[in-house]
Amino acid sequence: MFIKIAIKNICAYRKRSIITVALTAFSTALLIFSSALMTGSHNKMLANAVEVYPGYLQITQKDFRDVPSYDNLIFDVKAMHRKLSSIPGIAAIGARFETFVLFAAENKTVGGMLAGIEPKNENRLSRLAQSLKEGSYLSDGDAAQVYLGVGLAKKLQVKVGDTLAFVGTGADYSFSADILYVKGIFQTGSFDFDNSTAFVNKAYFDDAMAAENYATQIIVLPQNPSKSDALAEQINQQLGTEYQALGWRKSMDGLVEAMELDSVFGYISLAIIFLVIFFVIMIYTLLNIMGRSREIGMMRALGTTPGQVFIMLWMECLILGMLSVFIGGLFGGGLTAYFHFHPIQLSGYEEQFKQYGLMAAALPTVFRPIMIARDILIILTLSLFAAIYPIFKVNRYRPLEAIHHV
Amino acid sequence: MRWRICYFPSVLQLFFLAIFVALPLIPFPRADAAPLDANTIIKRVEDNLNGKTAMMRFSMQVKTSRSLRTIKMTSYAVGKQKSFIRIDYPGRDKGITFLKINNAMWQYVPRIEKIFKIPASMMLQSWMGSDFTNDDLVKESSLSRDYTTRLQAETTNQYTLQLLPQADAAVVWEKIIMTVSRKYFLPMAVKYYDEDGKLVRVIRYLNVKKIGTRFYPTHWLVIPQGTEKSGHQTIIDITEAVFDKPIDNNYFRKTALRRFSN
Repeated sequence: MFIKIAIKNICAYRKRSIITVALTAFSTALLIFSSALMTGSHNKMLANAVEVYPGYLQITQKDFRDVPSYDNLIFDVKAMHRKLSSIPGIAAIGARFETFVLFAAENKTVGGMLAGIEPKNENRLSRLAQSLKEGSYLSDGDAAQVYLGVGLAKKLQVKVGDTLAFVGTGADYSFSADILYVKGIFQTGSFDFDNSTAFVNKAYFDDAMAAENYATQIIVLPQNPSKSDALAEQINQQLGTEYQALGWRKSMDGLVEAMELDSVFGYISLAIIFLVIFFVIMIYTLLNIMGRSREIGMMRALGTTPGQVFIMLWMECLILGMLSVFIGGLFGGGLTAYFHFHPIQLSGYEEQFKQYGLMAAALPTVFRPIMIARDILIILTLSLFAAIYPIFKVNRYRPLEAIHHV
Repeated sequence: MRWRICYFPSVLQLFFLAIFVALPLIPFPRADAAPLDANTIIKRVEDNLNGKTAMMRFSMQVKTSRSLRTIKMTSYAVGKQKSFIRIDYPGRDKGITFLKINNAMWQYVPRIEKIFKIPASMMLQSWMGSDFTNDDLVKESSLSRDYTTRLQAETTNQYTLQLLPQADAAVVWEKIIMTVSRKYFLPMAVKYYDEDGKLVRVIRYLNVKKIGTRFYPTHWLVIPQGTEKSGHQTIIDITEAVFDKPIDNNYFRKTALRRFSN
């Protein structure tokens, strides 16, 4: 019966109902879309950062992350391959030998990282090949050919076909130096990376660096990247305590935390907006309910208890609320779904973005029903809370006072 | 018999008292009693280590927990500001030369036929894979200029000096403790501390031998501290040294890098 009365009242005060529904539906849609976009773009940024070079799963000797010296290398890559071959869920494996060298070209000398990679495997593990800008990517048979970042090439003033030299320390602490031919130049969009890294074929580099069968790390591509941590655990059990396998969440924990912090700020901004909306809804409900003082006073005079008044008014708000979050949910969910499959494209600006060091030219949303349900519940609760004060206020009047209320 | 209450020495007794008690208290001018100012000590140490000019042949062994490598070199130095080093062994590295003028360092690598300057960003990188850094080679001789020296302790055999950097000095070490032999005015052990007060490195100077008119430590041990460097050591053995003979100034020009490479 309360429901019938509530529905009647809702239809009677049309303007109030429509405005309340519009406000609440808008809030719902806003919350759903914002959180989906925030989470989606953070995920994309993380994925970009991980896929450019670091990789989803890294295996190193156990002390290497703390002390990245030649004493803590993986000294038997072949044995590692054998052990890993028995673990399911691995899509690709590649070894890398990274070292810090001095690059010298003409009159310029610049310090940077030179890494030996397995070109064919690396193609699946990172985006180095895709980031090709000029020349060509490395192949498995290459000798003294180098594939370097666009910033580094600029510092050294070399282009494809030029030569440059490197000097460094080999894995046996011997002095290592050679001349390299620039085979290709890449641009990943990450400034730091493009300014300071260069790659050569590991098979060639092992010779120059006395690093045969050694690696600084081994990169694994899981078949299911979102299960990287679980796979890392499995690998750790198989390899024993000498080595450490880390999923990207741990190996890139700095970036993960930065994204989480960004989310926090995003939610704080949203919370402020919703606080305002909360007060607007509350005031609007207050106005409406106070405007019905006479009506309510009449009902009270006829014997309706305050509790029943509360239930009746609250029912109105509940029905209105549920209707609005449903509409808002559909609308917000629809937007989210659309942008999930058609991310906000900033293409055409991709080149410019790369110049500014941003890799994401497309911002997707994540479509997760649980998140949408959570958001709907939040707004519903908010709108119900908004009604509490107005209802209490009107219930405090005595019936006669209310009747005479203007 | 009455005991005498006060004892009054005779003139003769006074005389003997003076000779046996007071005299040793008069400071004798001893042969090795130099004015014991900390700055003087450190300057003498530096002069003894460097000489006006120095030509040396030495071998450097780089020990790690996994390997042992030996490199043989010849070096020419004039004062503290200029030095030239050539690698003589092993064959792969033979002909590599280094030139240091003031605080800048260049290297020539014959097998790639390239000369390059070591940039400031590489100064803390290891030199030739050893426990010395490029910065060590460039800054080794400027202790008296870059640090304020204090005499911390002394015994009959040694002085202990504490060196703290001058306000405007661009140095790596926050503190250096040096024990100096009183006999030779040569360092015995030098301890290097970083800005956190942690002991980073110890260099011991051993096997002092007479070379020409001077004494010189011919066996140096560089022992990096810290668990990440456990098992590492660099050992310098000086096989030949000639001090204060004039050295061709051409060794200290950039042309020297290629010219005196072999």
